[in-house]
Amino acid sequence: MKEETKQEEPTGRTEDYLIGQLISCEKCHLCNTDCPICDYRITQGPFGINRSIYYSLKWNQFSKELRDLVYSCTTCGKCVATCKNVSRALPLVDIFEKAREFLFVEKMIGPMPDQRDVIKNIFRKGNPWGYPPRERTKWAEGLDIKFASKDNKVEVLYYVGCTSSYDAEGQKIAKSLSMILKRAGVSFGILEKEQSSGSEAKRMGETGLFEHLVEGNLEMFEEAGIDHMVTGDPHDFYSLSREYPKRGNELRVEHSTQFLNSLIDKGRLRLSSKIEKKVTYHDPCYLGRRGEVFEEPRNLIKKIPGITFVEMEKCKENSDCCGMGGGRMWMEIPKGLVSSQAIAERRVKQALDTSAEVLLTACPFCKITLTDAVKAMKVEESIQVMDITELIAMAL
Amino acid sequence: MIRSSEALYQGLKDIVGEDHVSTDLLERINYADTSLPYDVEETDLPDVVIHPGNTKEIVEVLKYANQYQVPVITYGSGTSLIFGTKPKHQGITISTRRLDSLQIEEDYQWFESGAGVTIARVNTELEKLGYCLPINVGSRMQATIGGAVSVNTVGHLMDYIYGKPVSNVLGLEVVLPTGEVIQTGSKTIRRATGWDLGRIFVGAEGILGVITRIRMAFYPKPETADTVAFFNTAEEIGDAFALMFKKKLPPILDGEFVSEKCCKMGYEAYGLDFPKGALAITQSMGRTKEEAFKNAKEMEEFFKSVGATESFVLEDPKVRAQVWGVRENAMRWGKEKGLKGYLAIEVNPALPFLTRAITELNHITEGRNDLIGETEAYLYGHIGASSLHCLFAFPYSWPIEKMKQVVREIWRVEKELNIKYDGVGGDWGQLPYRVPFYREKYGEVSYEIIKKMKQLFDPKNILNRGNLEGEE
Repeated sequence: MKEETKQEEPTGRTEDYLIGQLISCEKCHLCNTDCPICDYRITQGPFGINRSIYYSLKWNQFSKELRDLVYSCTTCGKCVATCKNVSRALPLVDIFEKAREFLFVEKMIGPMPDQRDVIKNIFRKGNPWGYPPRERTKWAEGLDIKFASKDNKVEVLYYVGCTSSYDAEGQKIAKSLSMILKRAGVSFGILEKEQSSGSEAKRMGETGLFEHLVEGNLEMFEEAGIDHMVTGDPHDFYSLSREYPKRGNELRVEHSTQFLNSLIDKGRLRLSSKIEKKVTYHDPCYLGRRGEVFEEPRNLIKKIPGITFVEMEKCKENSDCCGMGGGRMWMEIPKGLVSSQAIAERRVKQALDTSAEVLLTACPFCKITLTDAVKAMKVEESIQVMDITELIAMAL
Repeated sequence: MIRSSEALYQGLKDIVGEDHVSTDLLERINYADTSLPYDVEETDLPDVVIHPGNTKEIVEVLKYANQYQVPVITYGSGTSLIFGTKPKHQGITISTRRLDSLQIEEDYQWFESGAGVTIARVNTELEKLGYCLPINVGSRMQATIGGAVSVNTVGHLMDYIYGKPVSNVLGLEVVLPTGEVIQTGSKTIRRATGWDLGRIFVGAEGILGVITRIRMAFYPKPETADTVAFFNTAEEIGDAFALMFKKKLPPILDGEFVSEKCCKMGYEAYGLDFPKGALAITQSMGRTKEEAFKNAKEMEEFFKSVGATESFVLEDPKVRAQVWGVRENAMRWGKEKGLKGYLAIEVNPALPFLTRAITELNHITEGRNDLIGETEAYLYGHIGASSLHCLFAFPYSWPIEKMKQVVREIWRVEKELNIKYDGVGGDWGQLPYRVPFYREKYGEVSYEIIKKMKQLFDPKNILNRGNLEGEE
């Protein structure tokens, strides 16, 4: 190089970040490979989304079609892995989330119409549905679960998350995990005033609300003297462990599959009931590819007496998405784009190919979505969807 | 002549259905953008993008386009590295991706597929039966079989193993620009003797007709074992490969190389402690793993005998992944240096000139006063197939006009080197900018014959208009 290339100083402006990243796209199209939202149109998928953002910024034209594309991404991270392996290692999910923030904050055409109320609900009630905050811990009634506080110190905080607090399928996970922790003699508690971690707000581009929730939650954790927490929701796990700022004492965040593994390894938890079932495991995107937790859930499954474990063809880093991540749980998919049900049915079909009787996962979103797909496909008699925690509870 | 998005939408929605016609700006941008280092401009966009689902619909679309003289570009997956897929005269872009049927006829020993099926999908299905597709392009996960046949590429594979697609295509279904459908070839594994009209379309880069269906031979999937060899210089690798053929070693499936500068960056990026210099990788074949390994060992011995500082068979999967990572990730190193980082060329020197061409390309930026002298060049490629890629990287802060100028200079260099070293190039669907090469290499009479053929098949010049004219 004859003259030294001068790098532009970062301006801190979102559009400059986006242009700065996207200008270096190879345009090889390989990111579209295996993307859950890709169909026959190249526009649907990370290549099309990235080019659409780039040219919308360059030509200063921001349309509803751009918004629909940007919000159609499940943020599963498969394209990021592909780009890293074969091309320019663009942080595509980060780019898409920044673009959502830009469309929301700067251009006011985000989020998706259905997501507006969801964001309001998170702000006002601390959960996406707008359920009363006082009902958040209703699932725990009669289970003799403590509320962690400065006067009621616990070894571990169980951060339940919105879905496992309010959704009937999710509550089964919360109840199972609580039962297991009690059996293991773990001193644990939940927060009386728990609220959203902000993960879903961030996915929808509402980073201001995310930061507001982070502040509130960190204050609450600090006040209750929490230094170790466990959650069964990979979305919260990802935000709490990777997106929350580090402050003062290190806050150790574990997913329930990691914590339960360590309890068994330390001899604090024993699985004594035999479960003779053939099972397979679906890696939740925010636990696996994004959270880099692949082995602990598998190790945990294999510790259940009598279990036969089989992998799906697409597993671990190459696992397919269930379709509900990235804020898609809270929106109608616009006409012409790939539906979440189609994505989930594809994944269930992969599970059926293994002839497993149980499709295990470790995420309330995945559980709900895959269960709906099993019902829609009318294959309830062939396969059942469960969270690992529920199976562990059966094996106690 | 109809030339507006709205008018074309109205004319085409009844043919392919309104869900499969798009005039949306973003859709039109996505189907016009290519891997050229500068942005598409509004005049590059097609007026409309359509996604027909079968041959009948394409027939009607082409009759319509022919009647109203609307330019048509056929689009597979857009992985052509240059701008064959960019409309030069707007009009209609036809995506073939919904032509996605695939039948493998093991009893006949061929498969038939729609043009929009990806190479990866064909290969995955063939592998389940123990066969392989005789095409292996870097973009295989997205590239379509129709695109590969249209440009007649085998990608990384050695031509002498399976031949080019023109040798393996047994039959084609083609829609002519005037709307007639022709079926070519045979259903036997013996290629048609004498005139086989299908061969005219293979490698024609879409200027004579729209290939909708392909019947192609496949082969038993060989077992493979890889050998890596480290040399002080890329030139020494050139000498080794030129000699390899004369030594009559067991044929290899693939032979790759990475020059010194690329290796240095790759090793640093991955933190590898490999010997300094350049590296070569070969993929040996066998009916069994043992046979493949034995052949790979023979390559190792050969490399050592011709001056490799180190050579071994890649048995450890981790080391194998590292070595291939260095080769396959050559494309991203420009970004890590803060550069826009690409325009790649292909030079295919005749074997006696292999080392000289490597030497020239390895020092291509030195002592130059033109814009190429301001770029950083990275040399790598499929040396087994005598295919040298040189990637020129330059800052993305350059003005567009400067980028366009350097692109023209780079193409001129590619043309000059291919002429000088008896090469061909062109595996990437590069007709628009290769016209000057073609005219110089094969002469005006040949070029005129192709133009007359184009006129015969496509009297109103609707298909890929501008590509044969050499328009950027």
